[in-house]
Parts: sequence; C-alpha cells; structure tokens
Amino acid sequence: MHRMLAIARRVLRQIARDRRFLTLTLLAPLLVIYIIKAALDSFSVPFVNISSFVVPIGAFVVHFDTYILCAIVLVRERTAQTLARMFVNGYNRAAIIGGYVIAYTCLGTLQTFLVLTELWLLFHLSYPVATVLSLYLVIWLLAVISICLGIFVSNFARSEGQVLPFIPAVTVPGIFLSDVIFSVDKFPRWMQWLSHATPLYYANKIIQNLIRESGTLDGNWPRVALLLAYGLVVLVLATQTLRELD
Amino acid sequence: MNIVELDRLAKRYGRIDALRSVTLSLEAGEIFGLLGPNGAGKTTLIRMLTGSSRPTGGAVSVFGVDPIRDAARVRRDLGYMPQAPALYEDLSPRDNIRFFGRAHNPPNLEKRIDELLDFSKLRARERDPVYTFSGGMKQRVSLACALVHQPRLVLLDEPTAGVDPRLRAEFWNHFRELARAGATLLVSTHQMDEALYCDRLAILCDGELLACDTPKNLLQRGRTRIHVWRGSSNANESITETEEIYSQALPRVLQQYGLDASVTRIEVERDYLEQIVLKMIQSRRDA
Repeated sequence: MHRMLAIARRVLRQIARDRRFLTLTLLAPLLVIYIIKAALDSFSVPFVNISSFVVPIGAFVVHFDTYILCAIVLVRERTAQTLARMFVNGYNRAAIIGGYVIAYTCLGTLQTFLVLTELWLLFHLSYPVATVLSLYLVIWLLAVISICLGIFVSNFARSEGQVLPFIPAVTVPGIFLSDVIFSVDKFPRWMQWLSHATPLYYANKIIQNLIRESGTLDGNWPRVALLLAYGLVVLVLATQTLRELD
Repeated sequence: MNIVELDRLAKRYGRIDALRSVTLSLEAGEIFGLLGPNGAGKTTLIRMLTGSSRPTGGAVSVFGVDPIRDAARVRRDLGYMPQAPALYEDLSPRDNIRFFGRAHNPPNLEKRIDELLDFSKLRARERDPVYTFSGGMKQRVSLACALVHQPRLVLLDEPTAGVDPRLRAEFWNHFRELARAGATLLVSTHQMDEALYCDRLAILCDGELLACDTPKNLLQRGRTRIHVWRGSSNANESITETEEIYSQALPRVLQQYGLDASVTRIEVERDYLEQIVLKMIQSRRDA
C-alpha cells in the first residue's frame, strides 16, 4: 500500500508543479460546455431535450478528458523508461495502476465538481440536493472508470503516437452509443450490443433516471452495480495487461 | 555463492540474436565491467538481470534465484541505473530520489537523500526541476536514484556518459568504496580508461562473449613493439613485434644488444586495451 501511495503522491506532485497542464485540464471542459451552451442558445427550438441532454453531455466531457489524460501520461512513462525503472525499483503492477487511479481520481473529482457547477449556473438546473449529490457520484464514478480505461488502452501503445488512434475509437462510439443523442433502440442489433462496451451507456441510464424522477441512487442500485462491475473489469484488465517483461 | 550466474544465456528478438550462449558469473564485492560496441548485447544482459526481459535460452540467477520468478526478492537488493536518465524531469532531484527510495521504504530516507545529494554535488540545485539540468547532472541524479536503498547488486548502464572527467573519477572512487563495503557492481561502458578500474571485464560483440578476464590479463593479450636506437642515428635499428607478454619479450629482445654504450634509446610500445578489444572484435567478425 505504501508503494501505491508513493506513486499517487508523485503523480499529484507532478500535476501540481505543471501549472499550465493543471489550468488547461480544468478549464478545457468548462470551455467545451460553454460552447455547447452558446450553440444550443442559437437555436430557437433546440434539437435535443435540454433537461435530459446537458448533464449526460457534462458526464461525457469529464469521461473524455480523464480518459485522454491517463492514456497519454502512462505512455509517456513507458517512452521515458520510467515505467521500466519503477518495476525494477520494486513497484508492482497493482501499485502502479492503483497509484495512478488515486492521483487522477483527485483531479477527476475536482473536474466533476467544476463541470457540474458550470452546468448548474449556465443551464439554471434545479434538482433536489439528494439528486445533485447522486448525479455528482455517478459522474465521479464515470471519471474513475475513464481513468482505468485510459490506463488499459495505453497498455497497447508503445509511443504517444500509437495511443492517438485509441482516443476516437473509444470516445466517438461512446457519444453515439450511449443514448445521449440518439436512441440506441433504433440501431442495428450489433450496435446495441456494442453500446454495452461503453461506460457512458451505463452512466447515462442512471443519469436519465435521476433527472426524470428527480430521484436518488436508491432506485438505481442495480445500474450503479453494473457501472461498478464495468469499472472493476476494466481495472483488472488494465492491471493484467500492463507489460513488465519484453 | 556467486551473486550472478549466467549459464548459456541467450536472447533472441525475432531473427536477431541479442545474446548467444553467454556464460559468466559475478562474485560478491567485485566491479565487473561489460565492454563492447553498440548492439553488443550489454543492455540486454543487464535487463535480464533486472528481471525485465525473459531469456530465450539458458539460465540466469541473481542472489541464487530466478530474477523473473522471484522478482520481488531480487529487486529488494538491486540498484539499476538505465542508459537513458529515466527520471521525472518536472520534479527535483530530491523528489526523484525520494520517489525511487520510497519503493523500498528504507529507514532515515531523508538523511540518505542528503548524503546522495552531497555525493553527486547536487545540493545547490536540489529543488530545481531536472529538465533544467545538463546531461551529466541528470546522470548524477539517476545514479543517486539507483543507490538510494544501498543495494547489494548495482547494475550501471553507461553511468558516466556525459559526466566530466573530475566527477567521473569521483564516481569510480565511490564505486570502489561500494565494492569494498561488499556491494557487487556491473558496469557497462564504452570508456576504455574506465574499464581498467574494473576487477574483471567481459567483452561482448554481436551478443557473444569474446573474453572474460582481469584487465591485466587482457592487456597481456596485446602485442608489444620494441624499438632500439644505436649511435646517433635517428633511424631505429630494430623493430620487434611480438605476441609475447611484454615482461618476457623485453629481456629477450634486448639480449642481442647487450645494452652496450651504442644503445642510445629504447622505446617499448604496447597495445592499449582499446586496440586489444578492437582486434578481438575484428577477428570475431572476420571469422
């Protein structure tokens, strides 16, 4: 456990030292949401149902950002040979993955908070506190899963260039297959099956329920469990595929 | 018990043989040098000792165990300095040393970091980010990271590349101190003058072990050229090239002159280690 915390502390220190990275990471999602708001305002009749669209799209922005960051950062460790050095120094796979998940979860927590706050302010959303907290928890969970997904994908890339094709491969189907914009029920069967591979699909189901009923997680535990199980599978896969040997 | 044992160790990457049947051993407390041109297999060999690369043939043991199967056991007592600095360049030397030290959780870590910063002459820059450092300074940070937990076996892949001559000498003094204290050091290098500081040397070429001996014995494999001048003539009268070791060749050649008054000058040229190594590599490639 002390090794996992040592890695988390080191990653957080690196993030804190790189002010530009930190600022851009936190501001970029806010800017994207502001642009979406401006675009939606330009339509006299919006093409989507705003109330059921904005929170999932906020979730997507958090998912996209945390996923990309983690995918690139771990590949950078590999190319700089610090990953190999960590292994030789006695850090094992679980410590490395766990350390990264802890550190980037801190960043994801802050990002989720900022994104939700902006959504509230820009779109004048008014949900009960319990619903807001539930939404926060779901998006936060999605951020953690996205971190694991980023690490998992980075395990298949040997350079930063190789990780680039994985970015649209995961995020673009995510937005189309998650029920956020289009109804998945209208898609061919194989696409409906594919939608189960995107974490946003599970998160969106819970978010839509929470928004529709102004409810809490109480009635959504089976779906939350599904999202958790998805995260656990990705975490195990990320740990198992992290290559130590050549 | 030997600290490291390699028995017909082989590594193949696709169609390339990075190591071919290398057999050697390292004893406790010795400084063992790895010499060879680029692509000779030095880094591959070191990576196999760290348990980062699986052999395709033969066997390797470190501290008597398999470095892949018993990685945790081996890595507890292993210090590794890779060829590239492999540091977190946005962090300070202190942060880097602390991070690699924390993996082993040694007692008095901060005190140990202070010692290493003093040794590597980085105290004045201890809080600056590593990306502001020169190549030689990064090497010093990297070495400090490898030594932080006082390992019993230290693997150094070209540790003095880019380090100035004065500090290089200090590095080697420190290596000798570590060896005296019982640590075993495996050092890969291109610097022939540095190779002479080693207790034993292995010469690798195209993945093959060409020789493994003490520097003194390797030097004796070189040729000796003896030039003798007589009288006032500038032209040397005799040039003798011999494969014999110099201490035996010199009296034999000089016997024919009787060292009379006419002998005004004697020069003895011996092959440098570099020439000996290059000849070995050339003859291996010719073969």
